[in-house]
Amino acid sequence: MRKSFRVPVGIVGLLALIFWAFTPPSTDPVKESIKMPYKKMGLTKEQAAAHLLSRFTMGATPQQVNQVLNKGLENWFAEQLNGQLPEDDLLRRLPEANYPALKMSNEAIVAHYANAAQALRLAVKNQLVSRDSLQLLSKPEYRAQLQQLMKQQGLEPLQELNRQLINQKIIRAAYSPNQLQEVLTDFWFNHFNVSLSKGASQQFVLTYERDAIRPYVMGNFYELLIRTAQHPAMLEFLDNAGSVSNNNEWSRKREQSTAAKRVKQRIEKMAADTNNSQQAAMQQVLARTNMQGLNENYAREVMELHTLGVDGGYSQQDVTQVAKALTGWSVRPLSKDGPAAQLMQAAGPLANRANKDNVTINDFLFRANRHDEGEKTILGKNYPAEGGYQEGVQVLQQLAAHPATATFICKKLAIRFVKDTPTSLLVDQMAATFLKTEGNIRAVLVTMVNHPDFWEPAALREKVKSPFELAISAIRATGAEVMQPFQINNWITKMGQRLYYYAAPTGFPDRANFWINTGSLLNRMNFGMAFATGKIPGVKLDVSALNNHHEPASAEEALQVYSQLLLPQRDQAENIRRLTNLLNESGLEEKIQQAASKQTPPPVTDDGEEMAIYKKQSARRNAVANGNMDAMPGNTGMLQQVTGIIIGSPEFQRR
Amino acid sequence: MIPRRAFMKSGAIALFAAGFQGGIPGFLLRAAGAETTGKGANKKKVLVCIFQRGAMDGLMAVTPFADPALRSLRPGLFMSPAEKEGKIIDLDGKFGMHPSLQSLYPFFTDGRLAVVHGVGSPNTTRSHFDAQDYMESGTPFSKSTQSGWLNRAVGKLPEAHSPFRAVSLTAALPRCLYGDQESLAIANLQEFALQVRGNPMAAKVAAGSFEQLYDVTTNDLLNKTARESFDALQQLKQANMKSYPLTAGVVYPNTPLGNSLKQIATLIKMNVGLEVAFTESGGWDTHFNQGTLNGAFARNLKDFSDSIAAFWADLSAYQDEVTLLTMTEFGRTVHQNGTGGTDHGRASCLWVLGNDVLGGKVYQQMKPLNKENLEDGRDVPVTTDFRSVFSAVVGNHLSITQPEQLFPGFSGSPVPLMKRS
Repeated sequence: MRKSFRVPVGIVGLLALIFWAFTPPSTDPVKESIKMPYKKMGLTKEQAAAHLLSRFTMGATPQQVNQVLNKGLENWFAEQLNGQLPEDDLLRRLPEANYPALKMSNEAIVAHYANAAQALRLAVKNQLVSRDSLQLLSKPEYRAQLQQLMKQQGLEPLQELNRQLINQKIIRAAYSPNQLQEVLTDFWFNHFNVSLSKGASQQFVLTYERDAIRPYVMGNFYELLIRTAQHPAMLEFLDNAGSVSNNNEWSRKREQSTAAKRVKQRIEKMAADTNNSQQAAMQQVLARTNMQGLNENYAREVMELHTLGVDGGYSQQDVTQVAKALTGWSVRPLSKDGPAAQLMQAAGPLANRANKDNVTINDFLFRANRHDEGEKTILGKNYPAEGGYQEGVQVLQQLAAHPATATFICKKLAIRFVKDTPTSLLVDQMAATFLKTEGNIRAVLVTMVNHPDFWEPAALREKVKSPFELAISAIRATGAEVMQPFQINNWITKMGQRLYYYAAPTGFPDRANFWINTGSLLNRMNFGMAFATGKIPGVKLDVSALNNHHEPASAEEALQVYSQLLLPQRDQAENIRRLTNLLNESGLEEKIQQAASKQTPPPVTDDGEEMAIYKKQSARRNAVANGNMDAMPGNTGMLQQVTGIIIGSPEFQRR
Repeated sequence: MIPRRAFMKSGAIALFAAGFQGGIPGFLLRAAGAETTGKGANKKKVLVCIFQRGAMDGLMAVTPFADPALRSLRPGLFMSPAEKEGKIIDLDGKFGMHPSLQSLYPFFTDGRLAVVHGVGSPNTTRSHFDAQDYMESGTPFSKSTQSGWLNRAVGKLPEAHSPFRAVSLTAALPRCLYGDQESLAIANLQEFALQVRGNPMAAKVAAGSFEQLYDVTTNDLLNKTARESFDALQQLKQANMKSYPLTAGVVYPNTPLGNSLKQIATLIKMNVGLEVAFTESGGWDTHFNQGTLNGAFARNLKDFSDSIAAFWADLSAYQDEVTLLTMTEFGRTVHQNGTGGTDHGRASCLWVLGNDVLGGKVYQQMKPLNKENLEDGRDVPVTTDFRSVFSAVVGNHLSITQPEQLFPGFSGSPVPLMKRS
């Protein structure tokens, strides 16, 4: 913005010059505004650096505390807020050969990764099964034939798309230099949750994160709201794509038009034609086309979960009115020969005439002839009749700018970054910034780190990591190389978090007692041991390199050194004292070593059928990765043991 | 508050079964039913709860088919005993069960299954998350209640030392089990173990270390949870679930609900002191293409019905000890919406199954579904408070005196659907 003051003329110029003398143009206004009161709260610079890392990254890497200290805490945070560090190394880990979908459009994805309905259509079209014998497809031999058929057509199953989605999340979280961007992508995706558990939105979840979430995580809140509202994943997940109204001019005309009746007859005939391989699907689409009404699902959740919050002061009346304002917000037909496209074609010029008021933005389609033209009142604001597409946009703007939204969003951010029960003082200050800056997320985060609450000693380590955060922080803390991210995903699932499958629009709750329970806690300990002792296929970990191959002289020293490496700036004296006796048991080290050399562990194969394809591709790399694990010299067994215990320990569960 | 105590009861080794080398560890009970003398002599009463998350459409599950208003408000979803209208199972000339509930119908006819209709919360929220929260805390007007009603119910039971008194077969502990009484959440019994593949020595050391570390952590949640886990592990060490096979001829649906109920049945047969069990079933939020005889709702309801029927058959010798109670946060609109589904409404229905139940009856005080009788002109009004049902069931089956005290602020009376109310 300041660049516009470039030509200093007269008094304005003079003022500008004076202004500039105090804030030179090269400085970053965001960075200038960061004033972290950690000293006032009694923290050392080292402790403050460790705290910053534990909140704004997926976990500190070895030596990262020192890197932050060298760079300066404010500089580091400003750099993370900018999110512009080069990602060359990260992108090398996501080669196009293994991750082609990361660059595909929705249209290309729909054409390439077949969902269940598409696979069925293919099977019927090729007479593998008839429409009356679909149940045959549950038999293995038919499944194999269908897979073969798909392969011939150049199609891949949807699971392959999901694999790329899940794996890229793990790789990015573990290795991206722009860590805050990944933390916030996780946060905002979860806030605007969509799920692979719903068939209609499955194919769009990858592009949803890529196009509607990631680019905007540190921008303006409204931008996230409108991008998610108009993305096919959300339009399908919360059913708005099917929410329609006949309260408009075109629908009234259609009622009387003979041409429209003819088109309708033609379409119905198509849908009744049993020779059409898409007949069943067409009937469904036709049923949907003929549906005449509201679906309140998105309208309710956009207020309850995305903006105002459940206590944000809206009524059932407001829900219905918002739903009406968003009628016609839908998805353009993405499959060229799909039933929707066929119907559009059949409707011909008649449809086109009605479509002149349509609005298309990427894959979002506003269907004017499905929009409720009536007058509306939403949260006290009047929307005159015939507001069209802009009406819905204005409603979302109204919601984004509402004070209840500021409070609701800022409280959620404070819960994520400060503690499970933030003070209202902190939330109010963040909300004030939110309103003043019209929802600038960077500015809100700066207000948060400038507040003493963020640095309160009681808030340190107060958050419990989610299973995802635990797994990624273990990878980062140990510098592990992950060749098969899906194996990590299997463990995250086992610990209680199935990535991208949380079925409710709330997203995963951000509270310790949601994640910590009897079953999941044991699996966290099991994860620590499996991870550190090389029992997770496709994960390469050199514990001895962590300490530059300096071999600790005793179990006690190993505990001290590795605790400091994996949990920087935390007081571990009591834990070390307790464990030392146990580990010093005479001959223990030797026994562990002996036991390890005697038994070659069976490979872990509990990864489910989703991995079947990927397993083949990576079997060779897998063998290389695991091959030398058991052959490590020296007291690697003991070091692995110590590392595993630390990762499974209560301290490592906290951030 | 529960006083902190040391874990080290029988040493680290106790946490580990000898043969956890890859694959699935079996369960061998240290001493099956150690608390009881002679198998089955002192069986505990068990309450099993199923939460149908997403708000089940009670009007389609158990349809008041004789009500003409229903037919006109949901023409595309209406079903009746008539052949061309889905041929639902006529219960009493007024209500009919969806054909997907066929496998539960025999329990209705032999008087063990009761339906309660028009059930819901006095709080009119139509938010899933608030309504579930209220139903699980048992306090529909207070968000600040920390504990869940099932946890408070466990607190009213006679002292017992089993870590398995309250178990939820879910990945996370449900809200209704929050509280002071130890409660376990176990997604899968088969994986409930500390494991270090291929190295028993390492496993032993790790177990000892974790016991020490979780004993001293300053994080109360981690400390308390670890203690409960280790207690449960000690009791279930070395086990073999194969000792407790399915009752002959029983087939559970291979679905999350079927698998959960199968594991609850195993715990009951193992006689480990289970008194309250919980699990859940999803997919009830049918805004879109709900279907009638076939479709999403029918499939889900069939899974629900078949899972419960298999559970009941599997329990054979234990049926006298078990009562099963279902719940859902609210019902759905009487009218169908624009997309072949239904939106969030108010009252729904629930089921109670057990030998202590006065079944074979639809308990209800519903009014005709004419518009003037509907809440906000659109929804089935709540005529039976969910707390009237919950208190009736736990009061009788778990012999809790003054069960209404589990629900602070509640002054209603229990629905007389149990034999010894």
